[in-house]
Parts: sequence; structure tokens; C-alpha cells
Amino acid sequence: MTSQDNMPMTRAEKKQARRIRRFDNPWINPKLIWGAALLLGIVAIGIIGRFVWNLDLVFTGSAPLKLPPIGFENLRGQPGVLDHPLGTDGGGRDMLSLIIIGAPNTLFVGLLASLIGMSIGIFLGFSAGFMGGRTDDVIRVGADVMITIPPLLILVVFQSAFGDVSLTMMALLIAGFVWQSPTRLIRAQVLSMKQSGYVQMAQLSGASTSHIMFREMLPNLVPYLFGSFIASVTTSIVTAVGLEVLGLGPQRIPTLGRTIYEAINAGALIQNLWWWWGIPTLLLGIIFIGLLLINLGLDEVSNPRLRKLS
Amino acid sequence: MTDKPVLTLKDLSIEFPTPKGVVQAVKSLSLDIHKGRRVGFIGESGSGKTTTALAVMQMLAEPGRVSGGTIDLSGTNILHLNEEEMRRTRLSRVAYIPQGAMNSLNPVMRVEPQMWDAIIAHEGNKDRAELQRRSDEALESVGLPPRVGKLFPHELSGGMKQRVCIAMGIILNPELMIADEPTSALDVVTQRQVIQTLKDIQSKIGSGLMMIGHDMGLMAQTVDELAVLKDGELVEHGTVQQILEAPKHPYTKDLISSVPLVGGESFLNPDARAEAPKRASSEPLLRFDNVRKDYGSVTALRPLSFTLQGDTPQIISIVGQSGSGKSTMGSIMLGFNPPSQGQVLYEGQDIQRMNAGQSLEFRKNVQAVFQDPYACFNPFYRVNHALKFPYKQFGLATSEAQTQRAMEEACAAVGLDPDLVLSRYPHQLSGGQRQRLIVARALMLSPKLLIADEPVSMVDASLRATILSNIYDLKDKYGISILYITHDLATAYHVSDYVMVLFKGHVVEAGPPKEVIGAPQHPYTRLLIDSIPWPDLERSWGDGRGDWDPAQLEAQAERAATEYRGDVPGFDLLRA
Repeated sequence: MTSQDNMPMTRAEKKQARRIRRFDNPWINPKLIWGAALLLGIVAIGIIGRFVWNLDLVFTGSAPLKLPPIGFENLRGQPGVLDHPLGTDGGGRDMLSLIIIGAPNTLFVGLLASLIGMSIGIFLGFSAGFMGGRTDDVIRVGADVMITIPPLLILVVFQSAFGDVSLTMMALLIAGFVWQSPTRLIRAQVLSMKQSGYVQMAQLSGASTSHIMFREMLPNLVPYLFGSFIASVTTSIVTAVGLEVLGLGPQRIPTLGRTIYEAINAGALIQNLWWWWGIPTLLLGIIFIGLLLINLGLDEVSNPRLRKLS
Repeated sequence: MTDKPVLTLKDLSIEFPTPKGVVQAVKSLSLDIHKGRRVGFIGESGSGKTTTALAVMQMLAEPGRVSGGTIDLSGTNILHLNEEEMRRTRLSRVAYIPQGAMNSLNPVMRVEPQMWDAIIAHEGNKDRAELQRRSDEALESVGLPPRVGKLFPHELSGGMKQRVCIAMGIILNPELMIADEPTSALDVVTQRQVIQTLKDIQSKIGSGLMMIGHDMGLMAQTVDELAVLKDGELVEHGTVQQILEAPKHPYTKDLISSVPLVGGESFLNPDARAEAPKRASSEPLLRFDNVRKDYGSVTALRPLSFTLQGDTPQIISIVGQSGSGKSTMGSIMLGFNPPSQGQVLYEGQDIQRMNAGQSLEFRKNVQAVFQDPYACFNPFYRVNHALKFPYKQFGLATSEAQTQRAMEEACAAVGLDPDLVLSRYPHQLSGGQRQRLIVARALMLSPKLLIADEPVSMVDASLRATILSNIYDLKDKYGISILYITHDLATAYHVSDYVMVLFKGHVVEAGPPKEVIGAPQHPYTRLLIDSIPWPDLERSWGDGRGDWDPAQLEAQAERAATEYRGDVPGFDLLRA
């Protein structure tokens, strides 16, 4: 699809060429790029913020109470000040530093939980699909039973029993509820792939079981794994934020959910302290939109039929 | 032919806009189909035959569109009809008999109500007795008893389902029937039955028939006129007689000569005779010792014993219909499927009880070519992975350059250009190219035994002969013994040294092909051979003779004893 001679391409031709290139290389997908950009933006806030902002401002009483963001006035008529550009909360904490620390924390819990969940899922899914028989029965029934249990219910009990937990601990607990669907998905794929011609060919070629699993089957599972991973990151974040908003997350570490919990508790809604709960909610929204876009983009990458030319 | 044609296609062009530019699927096609005439559309996959049929039904898949020309259905210009008018036209005036009958019936409805739906949708509500009468009539006209109407689709056999689809198609007496490869999923015996039914019913209601297919033999036995399509162009059109006796276009000649005949000229050139590779062991290469396979209560393979010496390369064919146990036999030989009873011995070693080293040796020496060339390549890797990996795995590779050279040689040996194919991804190659690559793979490993399980049944007809001669060369030039599993007696006749005919897990006739296939004695072998459609107009095949009843012949075959028609040295079948 390149022009043979040196004639300069017209604008329409260039556009067409670009479109074709995009079709040829599925990874150049606008949805995927936008989604990744949004999430990287959140990470960037966390990283850059640590260098340019004074993080001691997350401690209670380190700043004046209930200051609005710059350009706004609170109910007492105080204007926002440059020292606290996003305002401060009812406990005298700076909103910007809360976000710099809290937003990456939320993302971290989600990523870690689903990374662990996916690893369990890949392991169990492959074992079930490959070994069959009793192993398969146990894993399948286990996953099916676990999928019917509402995770929040169990987690509420766990968290209240544990009291204060660390972020990693919370990720571990959530991971216990996101391995089921990857397990089922991978098991189904492995079962159908086991019958496929290329796996038989690999067997004929004297390939070992681990070769068949990791070199022949796994690469073909990659699009599914990516999609499943992103979906479980979303689920993990929703679960984590849900717990935090209930006040059951880590008590000492700022997270977006914890900030919303405190805002609600302190009556921020009635006092019109919208920046206190609004900014974390907005950031959560951006995280979810980013994840959704990545998921849609990956779907198009792995399923060429969804790719449109326009 | 004074009356107006049922269907007139005039300069019909159909195109599909795709990312790589617009594809012309059909290029200005002009053709008439007259009342009561059967017109066959023949061509390879991708030649535009199904696309044309779908355009007549206005059912082209997005983004395909008719870019020029007219489609005239006895006076109505189809292209000017709106959605609602087209809906009324479908089935009542044009009936479509689909390729896969198994997927065309609603699995949760009995057969009858599905037929009633068609009547109600076109003629409004009728009372129950009237509907019942008409569905019974339609079923009877395709030779099915009315009680079939009360059954669910999964309770019917493939041939019955296809006949139900025909019954559904003719229930409103359409002017034109379009049959899109109506028998491609059926075995030869059922195929003959279904085509007979189709021809009967068509002459009874006097409609036009547009029959789509790729099998010249079947076409010759079915239609009056033939239209040969290649790359969307009508390259030849005439009566079957004209085309078979004096084909003008080279492509038509190819199509006709690609149908292997029992007897007649061989498409092979058995000039070179290679010696089998020297074997260290004096044990026979492969021995079946009373092998039996059950799936639950169904016996797929009755106890069978044979010995293949393997000192001279031979091709042993195993023929039979689907369900005869031939593929089960193949997978037992490869060790993918343990036998329920008995042993399979490779050079005296039970293949189910091998240690790792023996197993690798067995894998190296017993290779396979499978039916589906599309599934045999991992879509993640370039195709050379499938050739390179086993070569290294079996310790044949000494260096990267030597592997590359071996791959190139093997490709060249099967008539592929290595520079062109080796670095591609599987989806960039055609089915024929992939199947040849699999043959090349077997060649690289130079096994002692190759199991070829229907190696050409999913490849376009014009390529079959080439691939079969590639496989034949493996024996002739490289001294590999081959077990050729197939349903196609004509090819088995040409390639094999010994033929076993399998029927319901039994060997019913065995011996050299000239005897078994050339002069069959067992009723089942005769039934199979009678069912093969050949491009020979003199032969009565689907002429609707009432005395041809496969069910009765099969019952007879089941009672008849196995016929042993002589032996060849190097292969011993133990007589039961």
C-alpha cells in the first residue's frame, strides 16, 4: 500500500494510507491509546507530585480547614489560596497531596489484586483444562461456587475482623474473589485448544506438556488474558473503593475511597464542600473510563471483525 | 425454449469493499435459468458462486453490494423490491436450500411447526388440519414418512435433515430453487439419496434449479446445464454434454480431469521406486493385536489384527463412510487414543507403554497429515515454526543454516516456493498450500510411517490430485510407508497397494485395489462405489430409480461375510 513513484500523495490518499496502516497494525488503536493515556496520567500525577509537592500536607491539621480550590469561595467566604490549589478537607489536609498519594494507591490495589487473581486463574484454568478428570471437577465446582458468593459481604466481615489492614493485605483479600472468571475462561479455551490441529501437531512433534501449554497455547490466549486482566482490575478497584467508602479500608493510608468516606462522614455534602468528595470521584471516573477504553481497544485488537475502516 | 426464463441475470456485478480495496466478487455475469431446467454453478471456493445465489435472494452479507446489472425473476426486477416485498418473494418464489442443514433447523422446535411457520408467514393463518396436510405432503414428497414432522432436528440423521430442508423449500411451490452445495456435509451414499430426492421434486413441481457445487462428478449426474465460474467470471456455459465432451476453457478441463476415476488413467507417475529406510529392528513396523475401541456402549472398532512389515514402502488404504471407525483407527495408531482392548505395537513395543526415549523415537518415525489444513498451524507463529520445531525436537538439526536448507528442500519437493511461503503466517496461505506444507513437514522428518487421515477432503478439487501425488512421492521417492484413511474410493484405487473397506467397525472387504474397488464383491463396497458420482453421462446414478434403497443394501451388507481378495507381501490382515 505504498505509492510506487515519487508523486506526492494528496491529502485524501494520505488519510487512506493512514487508515490502512491502522488496520494493518491493530495496536495503533485510538481507544487503546486514549485509555492508556488516561491511566498513565494518573500514574504521572503520583510520580511527578512526589517531587514537586510537599507530601507532609496529608497529615491532619497541616493546613487550614475547608479551603476551596483556587478561584472558588467556600461558605465562609474564604477564597482558595495558591498554597492549596485544590483546597483542603475538614481535617486540614491538602487535597492535592491526598490525590498524589491516594490515586496511585487505588490503582495499585486494583492492579495487584487482579495480577494475583489472574495468576491463580491461569494456573487453575490450565490445570483444569489440561488434566481433566477429578482435578477438573474440583476446580470447576470450586470456581462456580465462589462466583455465586457476593465478595463485598465476605470482605466486610473479614475487614471488620482484621481492623486496620495494609494495601497489600487488602489486595490479597480482593484477589480471592477475582480468580474465578479467568479460571473458567482459560479452562474453556484450553479445552477447545487441546482438540485443535496445531496442538496435535505439536504432540506429533514430540513436544513436552509444558511446551504445549506455554509455547503453543498461551500465546493464543494473550488477547483473552489481557481482556480478562483489565476486566478484573475494574472489578478489584470497584470492590476496593466500595470497602473504603464503607470505612473498612486501610485506616492510615490515604486512598480515593477513604477520602470519600471521610467527606461523607464529616457531612461534606450538606456543607457544600464539593471539592472534598468531588475530586476523588472525578479521578475514579477517569480511572474507570481509562480501563473501559483499554478493554474496548483490546477487544478490537483481538477481534478484527470489530475493527471498522472509517 | 420459447417460454420466458425463470431467472435472468444480466451483467450482474457484485463487489465487496475491503481494507485492501474493492474486491470484484462477480464480474458482469449473464445467464438464464429456464423453467424445469437444472443449472449447475461450479467453481472453486471464492469463485463467486454462492455470492451470486445470495444476491438473487438479496441476502448479500455486508458490505457486499450489487454494483451493476439486473436480476430478473420471471418479470420482477429483484433489485427494485423493497425489504417487505423481498420477504414475500423469498421462499414463495425463490427457495434456498442451505449447505449445512444441521445448522439451518431450529433445534428447539419440532420439524412440523417450522414448516408451518413458512406457510403462515406467506399466506396468513390457516387452520391446523390444512397446515398438517401440507406439511405431511411436503415430507412425503421428499420420501420421508409424516411422523418425521413430530421429531426434533437432533433426532434426524444428516441426510434426513437435508431432506427436511428440501421439503421446507418446496412447500410453497417456488419458481426457482437454489441449492448451495446441498450435500457437501454428507457421505456418498446419503448424497446420492438426497440428490435423487432433489431431482425428483424439482421435476415434479417444475421449478428452475440453481445448483452450486465444486464436484464435477456430482454436477454431471445432477444438472442439465453447467456454468463454470472462475474468479467471479463466467468462463464457460453450456449443456453438461457439451462441457464434458468438449470443454473449451482450460479451467474447465482442469476441473474435469481433477475427478479421479476408478479405472482409467492414473494421475500418478510411479516411475521411481525407493527402498524403505534400513531398519535396525526385525520386528514389524506396526502391528495391531486384536485392537478394539468402544465409546461407551458404542463399538467404534471391532477387534482387528494386522501386521505391516514396512520392509518395502507401501500405501495401505482404509476406506469407509463417516462413522465406520476409520478415523478412530488413525488416532489409535498415533497413540492419541488408547484402545479399549488389545495392543498397538510399533517395532514390537506397545505404544501405550513407552518410556520417554522410546516415545520420542516413535513420534519421530510415525507422523501424520490431518484432514484440516487450517487448524494444523498455530496462528501465533509463522508457518516455518511447524517445520522447524519438530526438526529440532527430534535432533535432526545440526545448525540453523542446515535447518533452513532442509526446510527449503522439503518445500521445493512438494512444489512450493520456500521464499514465498516459509516466512508467512498461516492465514496468509491457501488451504492447498498449507496442506502441502504439512506434507513437506512429514518429508523433512523422514518418518518410517505416515498416517494420512483424509488429507485432501478439505482442499479444493483442482488441488487434490497435486497433493495426493505429493503424498505418493513420499512412498516412491523417500520410501515412507503410508496408511491412507479416506472415504474416497477413487483415489484409494490409484494410490494404494492394499485396501481395507471398513463398515461399522468391521473390515468387510480387503485386498489389492484392482480387485476390491475394481471388481467389488461385498455388497457394502458395491454400494459405496455405486454412490460415487462420476462425470460420465452414460452412468445411471441419480435418475430416481425406485429400486435403489441404501437402507436395504446396508442391511444386506451387514449380513454378508467379509471378503478377502488376496494378499500383498508385507501386509497381513488376520482373518477373523
